Amino acid sequence: MMQNSVRPIEILLVEDSRMDIKLTQEALREGKLRNNLHVVMDGEDAMTFLSRKGPYQDAPRPDIILLDLNLPRKDGREVLAEIKSSPDWMRIPVIILTTSRAEEDIIKTYNLHVNCYVIKPVDMQQFIDAIKSISSFWLSIVALPPEHE
Amino acid sequence: MTPAWPPSSLPIVHESLQKELFHKLFDAAPDPIVIVDDEGKIILINAEAERKFGYKATDLLLKPLEILMPERFRNLHQAYRKRYNLSPGTRPMGRGLELFACHQDGSEFPVEISLSPVHVGSELLIISIIRDITDRKATEHQLQIKAAELEHSNRELSRSNQELEQFAYVASHDLQEPLRSIAGSCQMLQRKLGDNIDPTIQEFINFAVEGSKRLQDLINDLLSYSRVTTKAKEPTLVSSKAILERVIYNLRTAIEDSHAQIIAGNLPEVQADQSQLTQLLQNFIGNAIKFRSEQNPIVSVDAVADGKFWRFSIADNGIGIEAKYFERIFEIFKRLHVREKYPGTGIGLATCKKIVERHGGKIWLQSILGQGSTFYFTLPQPEHRDRV
Repeated sequence: MMQNSVRPIEILLVEDSRMDIKLTQEALREGKLRNNLHVVMDGEDAMTFLSRKGPYQDAPRPDIILLDLNLPRKDGREVLAEIKSSPDWMRIPVIILTTSRAEEDIIKTYNLHVNCYVIKPVDMQQFIDAIKSISSFWLSIVALPPEHE
Repeated sequence: MTPAWPPSSLPIVHESLQKELFHKLFDAAPDPIVIVDDEGKIILINAEAERKFGYKATDLLLKPLEILMPERFRNLHQAYRKRYNLSPGTRPMGRGLELFACHQDGSEFPVEISLSPVHVGSELLIISIIRDITDRKATEHQLQIKAAELEHSNRELSRSNQELEQFAYVASHDLQEPLRSIAGSCQMLQRKLGDNIDPTIQEFINFAVEGSKRLQDLINDLLSYSRVTTKAKEPTLVSSKAILERVIYNLRTAIEDSHAQIIAGNLPEVQADQSQLTQLLQNFIGNAIKFRSEQNPIVSVDAVADGKFWRFSIADNGIGIEAKYFERIFEIFKRLHVREKYPGTGIGLATCKKIVERHGGKIWLQSILGQGSTFYFTLPQPEHRDRV
């Protein structure tokens, strides 16, 4: 297994709802995996974070990315397209976390090779449980690709 | 082949009068007639030709036929005429060709020309009937303009529809986000405050949670209502029987829980948007189950031919509706009961009405309070569908 628990997992959350950010923080705290949660609130900042530019010069490379679709400035769909077409970032698992149930969104994002698409539960407990499941699955069950080839 | 003269269909005209009859016929003809010899020289024209072209018959005698055309066509027509003479046959001329004739004063008008070769004695003569099609051309032009306008309107409509759909999606989605924050935060409040909170606080939190849930339902229903037109598909031939089976499957939980019985008559094939017809039947049957009386619901779905339409009926033994509300229930968001007793946003029947009317049908009901209701709607029979 590529990932062992020596260092904390770096998670990038791209989300503009403060409530969902808070819930995600709570859920990850309740979970057992050591992690650093990095939060950006729009698509442009997400790209700047990944490029380690400006205020994000010392930012780590995320192990996984939780990505909302409807974001200010740059939209989550664009961010996804850029990540999956870049040789540097394409292997980072991207999990879409959105309220959109639109079939077009599901189809389009899977066409762009999103790793999975999660519709945010309406119930808060279910949302927290979903975040825990996601991190448990992607961070302790799944083998993640190494950073460098 | 020269027909016998006089033609047997004519009442017998005395030989001495036949010549006079011919002359009168010739000059009474409503279209100009020009007769030329095999060299294209004019040998006879009728009164209408004189009027139309502004010449006296004597002026035109033995002049080339091309004198009646604008200069730019003369060479072309000469060549055509020579070719024609090689194998003359009766034919209309001008189909697909823009032909023009020329008045003595130089003015032009569009024409259609027919040619008939005749052998008189040993001579070949060509009878040319020239029809002024100025009016027809004007009408064609008008039609072209109207068609272009129609196409433009259609494009506008399509664009407007797309905008509306986008607006509905964006509005509904942007409205959902803050709603989610409200509903979610209330839930978290309940969680954090725990069980031992003041019941009044609990109550108010519940009002907020319920209110936001209702708002979410309203937004979803509005979006779905708007999609009746914006996401409309071209009707296809569908089996209403198969659709009913699908609806029964969709409602299986509600049917089981209420011990409902759905009885289907002979249901025909119709021309409809499949998903909309599904929505339609599902709304009706769902309502029949929801608004049930103490008895187990029995719902009969049937269709009867009615002129050019199929008349569908959905009859139930539920709580019924007062006659004074018959119009109102088809209006958007109009409900007759408190939410606690019967949930729902009140958009179901408004959506049904929209779907039915979009298919060119009508919707109405009969009902007796306390006994049950029968909803009716019509759909054009497939052979009779003109337009949607």
